[in-house]
Amino acid sequence: MSNSLIIGQYVPGQSIVHRLDPRTKIIMIFFFVFIVFFANSVPSYSILAFFAFGSIVLSRIPFRFILKGLTPIWFLIGFTFLLHIIITREGAVLVDLVVLKIYSGGLIQGFAISLRFFLLILVTSLLTLTTTPIEITDAIETLLNPLKKVKFPVHELALMMSISLRFIPTLMQEMDKISKAQASRGVDFRTGPIKERAKAIVPLLVPLFVSAFKRAEDLAMAMEARGYQGGEGRTKLRILRISGRDWVALFLFAVVLAGLFATRHYS
Amino acid sequence: MKFKAIDLTFGAVFVCLMAIGANITAWFPILAIPIGGASVPLSLQTFFAILTGLMLGRRRAFMAMMAYVLIGVAGVPVFAGLQAGPMQLLTPTGGFILSFILVATAVGWIAEKSKTSSLGIYIFAAIIGLIINYGIGVNFMYLAMNNWLEINISYGLAWGSMIPFIIKDGAMALLAAVFMVQITARMPAHWMQIHTH
Repeated sequence: MSNSLIIGQYVPGQSIVHRLDPRTKIIMIFFFVFIVFFANSVPSYSILAFFAFGSIVLSRIPFRFILKGLTPIWFLIGFTFLLHIIITREGAVLVDLVVLKIYSGGLIQGFAISLRFFLLILVTSLLTLTTTPIEITDAIETLLNPLKKVKFPVHELALMMSISLRFIPTLMQEMDKISKAQASRGVDFRTGPIKERAKAIVPLLVPLFVSAFKRAEDLAMAMEARGYQGGEGRTKLRILRISGRDWVALFLFAVVLAGLFATRHYS
Repeated sequence: MKFKAIDLTFGAVFVCLMAIGANITAWFPILAIPIGGASVPLSLQTFFAILTGLMLGRRRAFMAMMAYVLIGVAGVPVFAGLQAGPMQLLTPTGGFILSFILVATAVGWIAEKSKTSSLGIYIFAAIIGLIINYGIGVNFMYLAMNNWLEINISYGLAWGSMIPFIIKDGAMALLAAVFMVQITARMPAHWMQIHTH
């Protein structure tokens, strides 16, 4: 469990999508989230679907990994589809089941909206499947850099994220230990009225807070002992580089964008 | 204000506490609370977001919650149900995740502004936090349902479906205020005064 926490949903690989600069991927996904709402015709949806499935093929990530990540979303997509079929009353009646009439308009609308949401989830999940959390953190730091002009502590935010990545598995293990230790002393979390169960949280959280703060204090001391003084003049271990393939990817994305706006309906 | 190393590490601790709080039922499946026949899994996110504000003050709390949302977006499974990824912010419940940033900041602001620290102030801050939490969360859900998924639900239904959760999180918000008093008494003073320097 702790291993999956550090790498998140990342699936290691050497594909072209993996090797794109994380900034390129974030920018493309950021725009994709907006443009997906502009699709309103069969060709425009096809272009977006082609882009989404093309990217997945290029990433060489087994499709089962992608489907696994979608598990909690299926319900929402299915629910949306069904609701639209039932509620919408436009177009010709396709199926007439006395109590329920399915119209062609409902089928089309339900399909379009579910597809839109599906493509949205597919493309956004590709980011976390092909990029490690630490790479994304680095990319966020560089992308937010202009905010330094308005005194927003970009470097500090990114460092806080990196420290959290380091702390999360440790503190989760700590939580395991504490719950077992308290159970062995006879603290009962399982029965009793709600008030008692809520009270049982206190003997869990106090030791967790103590151990967490102690770690935080130790780390802060270690950082200061090594001369940490904030972001000014700090060099980086991992340096992000925009290369030729990033420009190619951005160009292809611009083509998709142009294709989408050329093929959608305007009314 | 300049962030020192200790501010960053304490902020990071609260990011982790949020992650643990979101998934507390992974350790204690029994912590699901029956309300009106349905079983509502207890999540301590609101609880920890309020504590973050009370303990860290508005600036550090803002940073900690930003970091929490962003590492979740970066793919680390820190959201409820060990979920992660940018799509979590696009689902109808994404507003609740985003609201924690404002919850912790507002609670921290109240904690800083009030000269005294008493249970009354904590409870007031916690209630404000809860209002922000659901104010943003439910409105976001309403907008997401009606505009993205084009499922037309009424504004009343959006709030009505949240009633069991509001009861649960209301209780947790009050517990956060009580817990803050208890933990202040039990912890070394220099840890508890982190928000004052």
